[in-house]
Amino acid sequence: MTEKNNNQEKVGVYVCHCGTNISKVVDVEEVAKWAGEQPNVEVSRDYKFMCSSLGQELIEQDIKEKGLTRIVCASCSPHMHEKTFRNACERAGLNPFLFEMTNIREHDSWITDDKHAATEKAKSLVRGSIDRVVHHEPLDEIPVEINPNTLVVGGGIAGITSALELADAGYHVYLVEREPSIGGHMAQLDKTFPTLDCSACILTPKMVDVGQHDNITLLTWSEVEKVDGYLGNFTVTVRKKARFVNEEHCTGCGICIEKCPFKEVDEVFEAGMGERKVIYRPFPQAVPKYPVIDKENCVYFKTGKCKACEKFCPTEPNSIDFEQEDEMLMLDVGNIILATGYDLFDAKKIPQYGYGKLDNVFTSLEFERMVNASGPTDGKIVLRDKESKPKSVAIVHCVGSRDENYNKYCSKVCCMYSLKFAHLVHERIPDAEIYDCYIDMRTPGKGYEEFYNRLLEEGTHFIRGKVAEITDAARIPEEEGKLIVQVEDTLIGRQRRVPVDMVILSPAMEARAGSKEVSQLFKMGCDFDGFFVERHPKLDPVATMTDGIYIAGACQGPKDVPESVVQGAAAAARVAGLISRGTVMMEPVRASIDQDACSGCKICNNMCPYNAITFHEDNEVSEVITALCQGCGTCVAACPSGVITGAHFTNEQLFSQIEGILWDVRPEKTIA
Amino acid sequence: MADKPTFSQEISNLMYAAHGSPVNNCIQCGTCSGSCPAVEFMDQTPRRLIGMINADLKDDVLDTNTYWVCASCYHCSVRCPANIDIAGVMYAVKRYSIWNKTYADDLVGPVFSETFMKTIARSGRSYEPILAPTYIFGFGAKEFFQEVQGATKMMLKGRIPVLPTKIKRLKKFRNMMKRIVPVGEEE
Repeated sequence: MTEKNNNQEKVGVYVCHCGTNISKVVDVEEVAKWAGEQPNVEVSRDYKFMCSSLGQELIEQDIKEKGLTRIVCASCSPHMHEKTFRNACERAGLNPFLFEMTNIREHDSWITDDKHAATEKAKSLVRGSIDRVVHHEPLDEIPVEINPNTLVVGGGIAGITSALELADAGYHVYLVEREPSIGGHMAQLDKTFPTLDCSACILTPKMVDVGQHDNITLLTWSEVEKVDGYLGNFTVTVRKKARFVNEEHCTGCGICIEKCPFKEVDEVFEAGMGERKVIYRPFPQAVPKYPVIDKENCVYFKTGKCKACEKFCPTEPNSIDFEQEDEMLMLDVGNIILATGYDLFDAKKIPQYGYGKLDNVFTSLEFERMVNASGPTDGKIVLRDKESKPKSVAIVHCVGSRDENYNKYCSKVCCMYSLKFAHLVHERIPDAEIYDCYIDMRTPGKGYEEFYNRLLEEGTHFIRGKVAEITDAARIPEEEGKLIVQVEDTLIGRQRRVPVDMVILSPAMEARAGSKEVSQLFKMGCDFDGFFVERHPKLDPVATMTDGIYIAGACQGPKDVPESVVQGAAAAARVAGLISRGTVMMEPVRASIDQDACSGCKICNNMCPYNAITFHEDNEVSEVITALCQGCGTCVAACPSGVITGAHFTNEQLFSQIEGILWDVRPEKTIA
Repeated sequence: MADKPTFSQEISNLMYAAHGSPVNNCIQCGTCSGSCPAVEFMDQTPRRLIGMINADLKDDVLDTNTYWVCASCYHCSVRCPANIDIAGVMYAVKRYSIWNKTYADDLVGPVFSETFMKTIARSGRSYEPILAPTYIFGFGAKEFFQEVQGATKMMLKGRIPVLPTKIKRLKKFRNMMKRIVPVGEEE
C-alpha cells in the first residue's frame, strides 16, 4: 500500500458482486484490491450485494469509524441504486453528494464475456470515479413546489379515467382533446370483449361525469402547441380551435345540424362508413354537446352564402358565430398525463389484401361502425351496397402486425376483437359461415380463452394460417362473384381458396401519426415504432424519463380497454401522490454564472430550453434563475468565456474523471 | 465449435446469395404456401419444408419434390412476415442436393439447372435449343410436338435466335460468375 497523505480526502471504494451479475465477468476482488492502492483511497472492499442492508451498513460503519470523506460505489446503474447509497451516506452524517456511483454492470459486465478486458475496464471506471469524487462539493437538494393542477392530453378512455381519478381526489384537471368530443376510439365501438357489454353504455356515464365535474376544465377541439417548464411548474400553451359556435349561448338543441343542407363523409368517427352534416356533433352522446362547423367544407366559408345554421338557431343571442377565432390559452400545471391513443394501420399498404380496391373488404373500425346500433347501417351487417347480407364472412388477423414488412410487434387486441366480430356475425346472421384466419390465437386475459372456446362452440371455422391474398379472380364457377381468401391451412398442410361475400381485416394498432413530434414537444422519449417510452418497462410503466410527464393507454403500446383504464388510473395515482406531497426535492444540479467574469454576450440567454437565464441591463451580465434551471448543461457548453459552471458537473470534476479513466495511458505515466 | 453444423445451419450457410433472415426465424404462418402458385404440385408445402429443415429432417427434406417444383416467382419471399427469402431457401436445398448427388437419376430439375448454368457460363445468355432437350423428352408425344411446333414458329418470327448469341465482355462476366457460383468454374 502506498503511503496516505493525511491532508487529502479519505475515499472509501466499494465493489459490488451483484450476485454473479458482475462477478462472473469482472474479477471484483482484484478490482477492490487494486482500488485500495490508488491515491486518496483509505479503504476498499468488495461485497456480494452492496445494496443490501448489510452492504449499506458497511458504508455507514466505515464513514463513522474510519472518518471517510468520500464514497465510491462500483455496482449497477445510478438509475437503480444511486438514491440508496446517497441515503446511506446521509445517515452516517456525510453529505449525499460526496458520493459517486460507478456503473460496472450495464456498462461493463453485461456487455462482454472477456474477463480480462472487463476487469481492466472496471479499474478504469473506478479510478475515474475516485479522481472525480475528491473534487465533489457538498450540495443541498432544492425544494420544488408542485402546482396542484394537472393537464391530461387525450380524451379517450385512458385520459378520461386519469381526469376523473384526479378530479374525484379533489384536484383540478385540464382535459385537452383534439376532436370535437371526448370518447376516443372506445366511443366508436359496439360491444367490448369478452363480456360483450355495450361500449357506449359503459363509456357515456364517464363522459357525462367529465363534462359535469367541477374539477375538470374540458377543452375539446383544442391542441397543445407549446410546453415550457418542468416538474411542478409547467406552462402549457393550448390552441382552442374556433368552433364557430358560442358555447355560452348554445343549448345543444341540434336544430342547426338538422337544418344544415350539406353533408360530408365522416372519415373520423364513422371511419368513412357514414355521413355527417357540415355543422356536426360526432355522435349523439358527444361531450360537450356543442356542435362544430367544419370550416373547410362549409359553404358559407367557401362562397359567403348559406348561413342556414345561423338563421335557424333558436337561442337569444344567436349561438352561431362565424367571426370566432382560434384562442390561445396558457395553462399552469404541475404534471402532465399523455393519453393520446393510437391510429389504425392503413390496410391499403398491403396490396394483396385488396382493401380499397375490392369493395367488400372492410377494416375493423368500419365493421365496428357497421354493427353499432347507432351507426350508419343501424347495426345491420351488409355489404358495401348497403343492402345484401353476407352469407359467408372471413376475418383476417395480423394485418400489418407481426410482420417485418410493416410492424414487427403483436398488436395484442386483434385476436380478441376478431373473435368478437365472429360472435356478432353469428348473432346477427345465424346461418352465415364464418372463417377466422389466424397465425396464433392470443387470448391471455381474464375470461378471454373462455371466449375463444365459446366461438369454437358457436361453429366458427378457424383456419390456422396467415392469409396470403384476397382476390376476386375466380378459377372455378363456385368462386364467381365472390371474394376468394387464399390461405394455407397449416394444420392440414394444404393451400385453400375460401370463397366468401365479405372480408374483415384486423389491422395493427400503430402509434399516432406525428407521435415523434409530440414526444419532442413534451421532451420525452419515443421508440422506433413511435410509441412513448416508459421509465421502466416493468416497475415504472406510466412515468417517462422526464419528471412530471406521465403516459397512459395505447400511446405507450397496443392495449385494450381494461389495460388503458388501469394505466389511466395508475398515472393519476402517481400524479396525486406528488400533489399531496406539495413539495418535492430536486437534485441541486444547477448552472451558475460567474458575475465578475461574464462578458454579457447573451449567447446563453436564447439557448436555455427552460428560459432560466435573464440578462441584467444595468451591469450587462447574465444570471441563471436557480428555480427555473434544470441543470441540462447547454449554457455551460455554450459559454464562450467558460464562466458558467454546472454544480456537480464542474470542469474540474469532469476532467479529473476523464484523466482517471485514462490512468494507464496518460502521458505522464508513459514518460515515467 | 468444431461440431458438425446441423442441416438447418448448412442450408442457412448455402443461402449466401439470399437476403433476409435465417430459416429459424420462421413463425409457421403459412404465407409462403398460401401465396405459392405451384403448391398443388408439391408433396410438402414450403412452410412444412422450412419446418422440416428446422427439425433437421435432412433425408425427408431431400426426398420432397418441393424445391424442384418451386417456380421462383418470389411471391413467398416478398410477403414473408419473418423476412425469410423462401425462394432462396429452395435454391439452397437445390444446391445441397446437387452437390451431394442426392437426387434421383431421372429427375429433370438438376440436369436442367446444370445445363442452364453451363449455357450461361459459356455465353452469358440462355439458349433454348440446348436447354429444351433436358426436359422435353419427359413430355408425352402430343406435348412434345406442340412444344417443337411452338418453338419453330417462334424461331421463324425471331423470338428464339437460330444460333446461340454471346454477350459483350464475356470474360468479365465469367470472372464475376466464378466469384459467386462455384459451379461456374467448370471447363
